[in-house]
Amino acid sequence: MIVVTGASKGLGRAVCERLMEKNINVFGLARNVEKLPFASMSCDVSSYENIKAVVKHLKKEGVQVEGLVNAAGIASMNLAVTTPQIVAQKIINTNLLGTIYCCQLISPMMLRHKQGSIINFSTIAVALGLKGESIYAASKAGVEGFTRSFAREMADFNVRVNCIAPGPIDTSLLSGITVNQINKIVSQQIIPKQFKPDSVADLVELLLDSRSNSLSGQVLHVGGV
Amino acid sequence: MISNESIKFEVFQLVSQLIDNKSLVVTADTPLIGEGSILDSMKLVELCLSLEDKASDMGFEFDWTYDVAMSRTRSMFRSAGSLASEFIFQMDSKK
Repeated sequence: MIVVTGASKGLGRAVCERLMEKNINVFGLARNVEKLPFASMSCDVSSYENIKAVVKHLKKEGVQVEGLVNAAGIASMNLAVTTPQIVAQKIINTNLLGTIYCCQLISPMMLRHKQGSIINFSTIAVALGLKGESIYAASKAGVEGFTRSFAREMADFNVRVNCIAPGPIDTSLLSGITVNQINKIVSQQIIPKQFKPDSVADLVELLLDSRSNSLSGQVLHVGGV
Repeated sequence: MISNESIKFEVFQLVSQLIDNKSLVVTADTPLIGEGSILDSMKLVELCLSLEDKASDMGFEFDWTYDVAMSRTRSMFRSAGSLASEFIFQMDSKK
């Protein structure tokens, strides 16, 4: 089974749908899991206790977790100086600590079987140092650093850890960004086009598969930077 | 009913199985983290998973992820004895 956070919308939802198409068992985590067409549980990833409850549930069900996709994330496009403290905290708590907590608590279920793949999510904003995304980029830069070190910690247990850093993918996360801003970011990619969630799902599928067993600790930029 | 002493012995045995130096005798004072530790971090994780299995066989859940787990001064891993005591404590409190 593959555990996917942020499963109710955006990239997380696209990943869940792709895995279902491939007949891979999915267990989705999101704050609101009403009407999701796959097994799911309500969970706020910034809550250590919430994630512990998920792990307890999965253990009770005797589930073998083979992969974890940390797609839960929030964005707030603003200058750092005009971002309220509570928003800054929320971004760090969800994007960085949420990823760390899920890795800490769910990876032992993979260590046990000495097999697994973990996929974290960063952003092109880290590599490009995008204006107006400093706090968001800081949270995701943390995810990239965590991914590299955590991959080494997991290597002895045959668990791979990688990170996908998309550009502006067409999801609800982009609702606060204008078309001009999106085009400006896209123009800085090596492949200057806006990719769809499907392209990210392709990468997730590959990273979960044993065909990518030579990859760990890597940050893969969708579109290239 | 298994006595606390025999559970302690079983925990020490699990530790013994993970160390390379088989002539070493694991006692209550044997450190598991920090200076003089007989286990590397990977072996420590394996020990945690073994304890999870043992707890599951005994009908309770062993939690090694709470906030003081890795604290040098309060950690359950500071010695084989403290780990065994924590295991017994969790067994008693979760039954």
